[in-house]
Amino acid sequence: MKGASTRRGAFHGFLSQFPLPLLPMFLLVLVFFLWPIGSLTVNAFKSNEGAFTFSNITMLFQDPYRLAFKNSITLGLVSALVGSVPGLLIAIAIEKQSNQTLKKFVASISGVLANTGGVPLAFMFLAAFGPAGLVISVLKSIGIDLYGVGFNLFSFTGLVIVYAYFQIPIMVIVISPAISSLRREWKDSAANLGASKLHYWIRVGIPLLLPSFIACYLLLFASAFSAYATARALTVGNIALVPLQIGSLIDGNVNIQQFNLGYALAFGMIIVSILAMLPYIWIQSRTSKWQQK
Amino acid sequence: MATEMKNLGSKFTLLFAAVFIFFPLYAATEYSLRNGAEKTHDLTAYRWILDQSGFAENLAITARITAVAVVINLLIMVPTVTWLHLSGQRYKRFVEILTIMPLIIPVVALATGAQIAFPSILKNSIYQLSFMYVVIAMPYTYRALDIGLSSHPLATLTQAARSLGATWIRVLTQVIVPTIKPSIYAALFLMVALSLGEYTLAQLLHWSTFPVWVTNVSQQNITGATALSVGSIFFAWVLLFGFTFFGGKNSKTVKEEA
Repeated sequence: MKGASTRRGAFHGFLSQFPLPLLPMFLLVLVFFLWPIGSLTVNAFKSNEGAFTFSNITMLFQDPYRLAFKNSITLGLVSALVGSVPGLLIAIAIEKQSNQTLKKFVASISGVLANTGGVPLAFMFLAAFGPAGLVISVLKSIGIDLYGVGFNLFSFTGLVIVYAYFQIPIMVIVISPAISSLRREWKDSAANLGASKLHYWIRVGIPLLLPSFIACYLLLFASAFSAYATARALTVGNIALVPLQIGSLIDGNVNIQQFNLGYALAFGMIIVSILAMLPYIWIQSRTSKWQQK
Repeated sequence: MATEMKNLGSKFTLLFAAVFIFFPLYAATEYSLRNGAEKTHDLTAYRWILDQSGFAENLAITARITAVAVVINLLIMVPTVTWLHLSGQRYKRFVEILTIMPLIIPVVALATGAQIAFPSILKNSIYQLSFMYVVIAMPYTYRALDIGLSSHPLATLTQAARSLGATWIRVLTQVIVPTIKPSIYAALFLMVALSLGEYTLAQLLHWSTFPVWVTNVSQQNITGATALSVGSIFFAWVLLFGFTFFGGKNSKTVKEEA
């Protein structure tokens, strides 16, 4: 319930009422976030001569950029699935444990793993899953020859496996509050009213968890969709991905035209992420109501 | 019997998770200890790291960036979120939207935008990274502080302290900060974790930080690169795990005192 009276004279009112204690944080976000993103958006619509144009944006719908968007979105969707289902199961399994030390240990390790991204992660998997790696030779000794069936770490599948290493822990972290707030009383009252375990899950548990699950899935999508460091270290230019294309357009010795194209690609990423994250924010704000104890 | 089966199921899930987490790390550690020429295991690859020029310098650079980010967090985030809880509730929604944005906008896009927007005074200082790291970490640091502040009767504590004659500074430093210490540790932990491993912004904005250096050196020697990766993962883990443990211990004492 926002006060209706504050709506009047919106911008001027906002300025004169802007609370001083918020100023440092607001300035920080303004200078180091809103300003760069604003400039980026403006430049995505600029031609070489600085005139307004849609031509950078229309380029996004042509290959190789169209393909890159298709790959990145697919990677996001698949990686989010591979991360969210095991993550959910692990979070449920943790919730069932009565051992507090174990719970705390899993919580800490998830926090650590969720931040283990980037280049070291890529090299860790290269060593473990590479042709001479221990994982491969152990699997071979029990009769599974991964490379024999066409496995390749420098591939889409490879990326999905490596991303799972930080996606699953992120899922455990973000879904845990929803699971622990499924109140015991609800389970008990369902049982009192004659519901079986299956009934409880179908009528109570799943309907309550589903929105949170979707929200967390979308968060994982965004995380895989925009991942840069691991992809850069692991792929050798064989998979077209939007973040990598932006990197090479912005980075190297390219002409101005391609700079603007890079801005347009980044703008396209923002649009995709916003489309994915708006439902996330909406669901989170709804579920936070019943999750507060 | 049924519950036992179920417990077995969840134990199995956790065991599977443990294998998934630790086996690749173990395998990578084994690989990094290989000595190719003699087919034995030793520390050759780790000694190779120390011989590379730039190891200490880049580690120091990352440590400095991290330290600045932590200080900014303490000076800006902690007072702001405290104020939001005490008398700025009206603005909570606005700040929540502000802090969730870094989750929506990809870091690659932020790096690209920073390249266009920043004047040279910002572009020429490596500490621009610290400020941007604070912003990127906001979705996590804000939530950590928010949860901590929500779980204490801060208004009551503040009124009590004020009526006993404490100044606002004293209330902040001697009442609020000690009360929400675990959440401050949690927020700083997230900040340090992000700052130590961040690669995208640093690389795209052409700064040499430890993660960027690791990548560059890694091109030359795959065993050495593995050693470096395993080493930096363990280093980060020990540091971060220490942080959570430290913070966790404090949350316990606070609860016991309450």
